[in-house]
Amino acid sequence: MTSIDNQLAGTPRQLGIVSRHAAIYIGAMLLLLAMIFAGMCLGRYSVDVPRAMQIIWLSILDPARPLDAIDERIIILVRVPRVLLAAFAGAALAASGAALQGVFRNPLVSPQVLGISQGAAFGGAIAILLGVWGLPLLAIVFFCGLAALALVGFLARIDGRTEIVTVILSGMIVGAMFSALVSLIQFLADPNGPLPAIVYWLMGSFASTTWERAAIAVPGLVIGMVFLWAMRFRLNILSLDEAEARSLGAKPELERWLIFALVALIVGSQVAVSGIVGWIGLVIPHATRLLVGHDHRRLLPVSMLLGAAYLVAVDTIARTATSAEIPLGVLTALVGAPVFAMLLRHHYRERNAA
Amino acid sequence: MNRLQMHGLAGAVALTALLSPMLANAQEINFTDQEGREVHLAQPAERIVTIPMPMASTVIALDGGTQSLVGLNPVSKTAIMEGILGKIFPEARDVTDKVTAANFVPNVEELAAVNPDLVIQWGGRGGDLVDPITNAGMTAMLILYGTEERTREYMSMTATALGKPERIDALVAWRDRVQHDIEAKAAGIADADRPSVLYLGRALSDLTASGSGNSYNNWYINLVGGQNAAAELEGTKPVNKEQIAEWNPDVILLNAFEPDLGVEWVYKDPILSLTNAAKNHKVYKMPLGGYRWDPPNQESPLTWMWLANLVQPDVFDYDLRAEMKSAYETIYGYQLSEADIDGVLWMDMQGDAAGYDRFKAQ
Repeated sequence: MTSIDNQLAGTPRQLGIVSRHAAIYIGAMLLLLAMIFAGMCLGRYSVDVPRAMQIIWLSILDPARPLDAIDERIIILVRVPRVLLAAFAGAALAASGAALQGVFRNPLVSPQVLGISQGAAFGGAIAILLGVWGLPLLAIVFFCGLAALALVGFLARIDGRTEIVTVILSGMIVGAMFSALVSLIQFLADPNGPLPAIVYWLMGSFASTTWERAAIAVPGLVIGMVFLWAMRFRLNILSLDEAEARSLGAKPELERWLIFALVALIVGSQVAVSGIVGWIGLVIPHATRLLVGHDHRRLLPVSMLLGAAYLVAVDTIARTATSAEIPLGVLTALVGAPVFAMLLRHHYRERNAA
Repeated sequence: MNRLQMHGLAGAVALTALLSPMLANAQEINFTDQEGREVHLAQPAERIVTIPMPMASTVIALDGGTQSLVGLNPVSKTAIMEGILGKIFPEARDVTDKVTAANFVPNVEELAAVNPDLVIQWGGRGGDLVDPITNAGMTAMLILYGTEERTREYMSMTATALGKPERIDALVAWRDRVQHDIEAKAAGIADADRPSVLYLGRALSDLTASGSGNSYNNWYINLVGGQNAAAELEGTKPVNKEQIAEWNPDVILLNAFEPDLGVEWVYKDPILSLTNAAKNHKVYKMPLGGYRWDPPNQESPLTWMWLANLVQPDVFDYDLRAEMKSAYETIYGYQLSEADIDGVLWMDMQGDAAGYDRFKAQ
């Protein structure tokens, strides 16, 4: 609980902590900038770095200028929106993972536990099955994610109140139900028609990112992040146990649901444009906790920076490593799972040694 | 000349077709399918269920009608009813499609209800697709997808099972003749004169390109004197538009599987519209005839001639409309109208494409 105690600035030890945290912020920010720079300069179509920088600079000076050459179109219409969307999605997913883990006081929680991802996946699968693309698909995905959350809320509310454990169990039930519905849709889908598209979409990809798609998803992602950030103090209180939180004047139930709704907004926006991207909300907050501790005032922003850098890096690998696009979900899991395992072992070894 | 030979063969086919019922009863049929299983039929199959998608139209073609087809994949049924086969054989509407799910998992109860002599199923995809059929005491014939050789082999097997081997001889001879004719003419084309051709297996939902390996698209692109722009891929893989820009193909082929996909999709795209193919108006959607022309089927030589005229216009000059008329006469016993041909070739949509004026009705 030291993390939420009022800190008395000025003692040498705390000055050391402050400068350490400043270094972490600056490091994470530089890492993110480096990844964005690399993402914009790397690609299957070779454009050399000075030319890429020149194209981006000209478009910043005059965003409306006509793009005639193919290298200009590739950088401005393909790479820049894709890198930016990946950055926002990575930041928002990491923040929602951190927030949920705080609310549930459980380090293994992610949006999947609330059934939101499965609900959104079901919405996307049914939209593809019906041949719906673009804005209507986004609307269906978002609505289904929210519907899953509402269903969890309805199931978990017994005798006028909800407990954490009933929320987790209800989330598992709703998630399992929506997963089964996704399987049913895959079973019904034509293998020569929508089935491969559904499978590919479920594996996650930013391949079809355009400025329009980015413009659809980014507002939801930003609103979600801003409000989670605004609730950083409440998150610190919510991560105490129920009785303590109440005694500190929190209305845990209401605030919890507010946070769940923000997470649904983030996951719905992200899933709608890029399919299921797992692991970010689990791996990044854990890595960040090792760096800055459990205080959400620092955990949230550093998670966002690292999540953005991580997803941009993974997506850059997905689209450049081979001439075929590698599905994103495969890479985030392949990279995420071992990193997560290492972090866990490192964490517990240090704790046992202490 | 090709057409004359086709008519000759069609006559021979008609003659043997008349004689075959007399021989049929005494015929016991044994052959080995493409998974090396022995298939035994006491007499020619009269009740066939086809689970792989292109096989329904193949059975109709080899049998000269829908009389032996008693069950098919729901997706084959919609393809037939929406395409020209539905017009030629409207009675296909009455054949049940409840015998299998679209994903090839058979429904054994529905299968048993139509009492098939033979069930044609995909091989190489594990026992779950096959065991339910054989455990219920039905006879299965397994086929493998991919190459021209395999296609000829499973088409011949199907004709054998139908007790109509003579039907396939004409079709195989036609495939052989057209293939050799194209190979002979394309042999002299230098590598530098072979345009790069990109086949997009899916475009609207996500982008996939056909690479090298066991891809039929790759095979016919090379056959007609082109080279596969995506040859560095192994099989069909998802790609991005940046990669397509890097390949910069001279010709883009769009699949016939996505009904909403038209050539304007390429011309409106900011990246793809700057490829050589788009700049020179060489973007074509694969035709939809008795079956989609992209995968191997009974009409494949028409696919090759269509593509040969487009990819190497100085080398090939097939009279495609005449070839189509004579092929449909032989395969389906149907007289194609000029409007039918325009529909199959998507004249309304891509009549203005480079090289397409040769396909216009005179």
